[in-house]
Amino acid sequence: MRAFVYERPADVEQAVAAVAADPQAAFLAGGTTQLDLMKDGVWTPDRLVDITRLPLRGIMVEGQLMRVGALTTMEQLAAEPAVTERLLMVREALLAGASTQLRNMATIGGNLLQRTRCRYFRDPSVAACNRRSPDSGCAAVDNTARMHAILGVDERCVALHASDVAVPLVAVDAQALVAGPGGQQRHIPLTEFWVRADEGPSIEHVLTHGELVTAVDVPLLPAGWRSGYLKVRDRASYEFALCSAAVAVLMDGDLIADVRIALGGVGSVPWRARQAEQMLRGTHVDPVRFEQAGRATVAGAYTLPGTAFKVDLAVATLTRQLLAMTTEANS
Amino acid sequence: MTAVQARPAGWVGQGVDRVDGPHKVTGTAPYSGDVTLPGMLHAMVVTATIAAGSVTKVDTSALLTLPGVRAVFTHENFPRLNAGPQVAFGEAPPAPLQDGRVAFHGQEVALVVADTIQQAAEAARLIEITYAPEAALLDPAHGVAEPLPYLPDTRRGDTEAGWALADVRVGAAYTTAENVNNPLGLMGAVAAWDGDHLDFHDSTQWPVNVRKTLAAMFGVPESGVRVHAPYLGGGFGAGLIPWPYKMLAAGAARALGRPVKLMLTRPQMFKLVGHRPDTEHQVRLAARHDGTLTAIEHRAVSLASLDKPALGLLTAATGQVYACPNVATVERTVRLNRRYPSAMRGPGEAEGNWAIETAMDELAYELGMDPLELRLRNISADRHPGSGLPWSSNALTECCEVGAEVFGWARRDPRPSATRDGHLLVGWGMATAFYGAYLPVSTARITVYADGTAAVRTAGTDIGTGTYTVLTQVAADLLGLSPRQIDLQLGDSDLPDAAQSGGSGLASSLSAALQDAAANLRGSLLGLAGPDSPLRGASPDEVTCRDGGLCRTADPSASTSFAQLLADGELTQLSAEGHTRLPDSAETGMHQAGGFGARFAEVAIDPMIGRLRVRRIVTVTDCGRVLNPKLARSQIIGGTVGGIGMALFEETVTDPDTGRVANGTFGDYLIASCADVPDIEVLFAGGPDRFSPAGTKGAGEIGLVGVPAAIGNAVFHATGRRLRALPITVDQLMM
Repeated sequence: MRAFVYERPADVEQAVAAVAADPQAAFLAGGTTQLDLMKDGVWTPDRLVDITRLPLRGIMVEGQLMRVGALTTMEQLAAEPAVTERLLMVREALLAGASTQLRNMATIGGNLLQRTRCRYFRDPSVAACNRRSPDSGCAAVDNTARMHAILGVDERCVALHASDVAVPLVAVDAQALVAGPGGQQRHIPLTEFWVRADEGPSIEHVLTHGELVTAVDVPLLPAGWRSGYLKVRDRASYEFALCSAAVAVLMDGDLIADVRIALGGVGSVPWRARQAEQMLRGTHVDPVRFEQAGRATVAGAYTLPGTAFKVDLAVATLTRQLLAMTTEANS
Repeated sequence: MTAVQARPAGWVGQGVDRVDGPHKVTGTAPYSGDVTLPGMLHAMVVTATIAAGSVTKVDTSALLTLPGVRAVFTHENFPRLNAGPQVAFGEAPPAPLQDGRVAFHGQEVALVVADTIQQAAEAARLIEITYAPEAALLDPAHGVAEPLPYLPDTRRGDTEAGWALADVRVGAAYTTAENVNNPLGLMGAVAAWDGDHLDFHDSTQWPVNVRKTLAAMFGVPESGVRVHAPYLGGGFGAGLIPWPYKMLAAGAARALGRPVKLMLTRPQMFKLVGHRPDTEHQVRLAARHDGTLTAIEHRAVSLASLDKPALGLLTAATGQVYACPNVATVERTVRLNRRYPSAMRGPGEAEGNWAIETAMDELAYELGMDPLELRLRNISADRHPGSGLPWSSNALTECCEVGAEVFGWARRDPRPSATRDGHLLVGWGMATAFYGAYLPVSTARITVYADGTAAVRTAGTDIGTGTYTVLTQVAADLLGLSPRQIDLQLGDSDLPDAAQSGGSGLASSLSAALQDAAANLRGSLLGLAGPDSPLRGASPDEVTCRDGGLCRTADPSASTSFAQLLADGELTQLSAEGHTRLPDSAETGMHQAGGFGARFAEVAIDPMIGRLRVRRIVTVTDCGRVLNPKLARSQIIGGTVGGIGMALFEETVTDPDTGRVANGTFGDYLIASCADVPDIEVLFAGGPDRFSPAGTKGAGEIGLVGVPAAIGNAVFHATGRRLRALPITVDQLMM
């Protein structure tokens, strides 16, 4: 393994300054993806700035808002009563991800910033990867592909954003709190946090080097809403989604008074389905309309022979989850 | 309904806990990766990034300046090796680093040796290799089909005539994907030379073959090569071949004059220690209206590497289960610029079974007959359908009947897509299973001591299957001792030669060798009996070991302790060796049987999103005598889980343009997780086999066989969709 400098800053300001000052530096949190990438020689930072002892762990609930410290682990967030009561889809997404061991190490901030699982990105012996080395091409497009994204991608890159929990977070308009050099703070809506692969395959998110996610502000669903996360994959555990749907609904009888939808497993970024929301808001429970909303969401998908099935799967996953949320919500 | 086995009179047949269990759970069982020797260096393999061509240049000068790096071996400076010996089922691939030729993506092309594994890994990452690539042969359609080394084409009767006189015919193509053994224990070796003597700590299922192979390739006396493999972190066949990493470790250690440890990485486990190759089958079945089979035709191909053919055996079971007079099998291997194939649990026969037992299900639906009934009508229960000789054992019919009763098969609505549970489609499927007999010859040694304890020694390995435990039980019964009084050592090539832990043959082979050794021991002990001994004049067949001594079988009160016998002979210990004595097939007039089984599976499918879950499996196996029901059950459960993986998840993906393994990690190559494994009901049927001296037929391979077809047939029953390519995945199941 390549040698690197390891340091442990005293506070957020020091941490941000240390990374900002060195283009080859990176933050280290749970490390569950990062250390794999380093061992595989995909990511070769010269300096790791360990933030795990900074006071960024913990969950605070105030009224309609839940603030989740960036170092809160996936298991901690899944166990939070407010999540079970008012954001069930977040709990379901967390528990559908990784394994218990990984969820006890992996942090929410790191989860949002996890890098694509694309097999071509993750093997440095593959030369053509526009995400890893700009303008080198994309080996994934030419080969047997099944796990890749179909939305927000093109022939330059089909990298999938594989997070589960990011999908419901995007659906409820969560925001990242970011600390920057010189004590700067900013809020970034998660819907604007990531950069689609078809808008720049080598740029994954809008953070500048040295900026640190310190917390995620998550609006809790008001009373009367119901939510859930459906993850479709080949095996029952420990696999990234082929397709997933986070759906939150507010029913008024059999009328959909309001709805929030995001899809996972299909996009280069967690995919908010606003058009589908508009098509369904104020309508009655109707599988045909659900399917139309799904079709509208995947219209314009970029598919490869191996990923073509994801178009129908996305429609089916969304339809199945809308049925589950809207019909059970009535009872 | 429970196993139909005689109530155990001794230790054999009891569910004794693993004797090696405490060593494993306390971390004191030494695996090859645990071995550390003074002055030991660490080696990391560098693998090719082209599929065909040659290495033209390796820039090593910069690497040698890195901290801790001791050597970089390439074809230019690695020791020259002889060709390996010809060993059936165990021949080594070409020696590594002898020339710059590259025959597959992932092949060993260099070796970095350093003080620490981290230094070796970093140097291996930085190494720059220049290649002269050539056009690679990667498309099976362009490969040349060749006959297989171990299995000729077979023909009995006239399949065309059988085809012509049938009422119903089916024919289709079936495929299975490349699966990789991937035992949890990474494989590797520690090599230490002293002159021409080599101490070699290895991950192998066959220490004797590693000894032979290393001695021949390095040109040193076999007597000086000692291979240690007391424990193996699983093998599933990956440890049967003397893979090139062994020669790399031994060669580097010899060249550097220091011990070298070489452990493969997980991605390298996908490339360098074999796999179950992709297979393709063309099957034609024909039958009368009453279900009587009139023709079975099975053509099969497995993919192979340029330098090592596939094991094959895809068609080995095809003519052996059903009483069909007309059977033809044709099997080929196609050589490509791909990784070396080898054996993986239920090798060949598991893939062939997928094709045949799926075709049988298709035939049942064409006939309008219950799939179980079709099997029962055709099983050749009494005689081998080819030789016509009586089976040495065959409880396949019983397996089917017991399994059907426990599963509740009679309640099955035969119509596809007719059984529902809410929005889920429910399907029930079944398949029979067969795994061919394999009973190789091994040797073993028993030594008794004056304190009434005994040492049992053989070079055979326990790869996690329970060999330590079952042999202790067998020895305890043969010697009249308790398991605590037996000290059993395995996995050392200096001990009496033993066959591989493979082909479900080792427990049978070594149990028989122990029987022979015990008979020889009784003879030697009798020879020590003094003039006043009550045993004087008895023959070895008339005496039994009991309670730390020898007694007349007909009159146990006529006994003498081992201590007395040894004292009479002025000895402190006495040893006897024995080997596997097999009955002559012709003399016995029977056909040596392998394992039989019946598998029943229930699946539930959400057709909208293609989600499949296996809900339950009932598996009934005739593996002859069950030496230890707890361990046999574990073997069948493990095989069943492997079968679920083969059916639904496992597939090594090779990039079609580069030959690179595209999913060589446990995150990308899916095996069944615990959540994918349903309630498995494990049952045994039949009794001791008449051919095998210990009555056993082996439980390691057979458990996997039949599971994929039972699941696939359940999928058809659930959905009406006939899927003929494994693995069966979400995209195939969406409706």
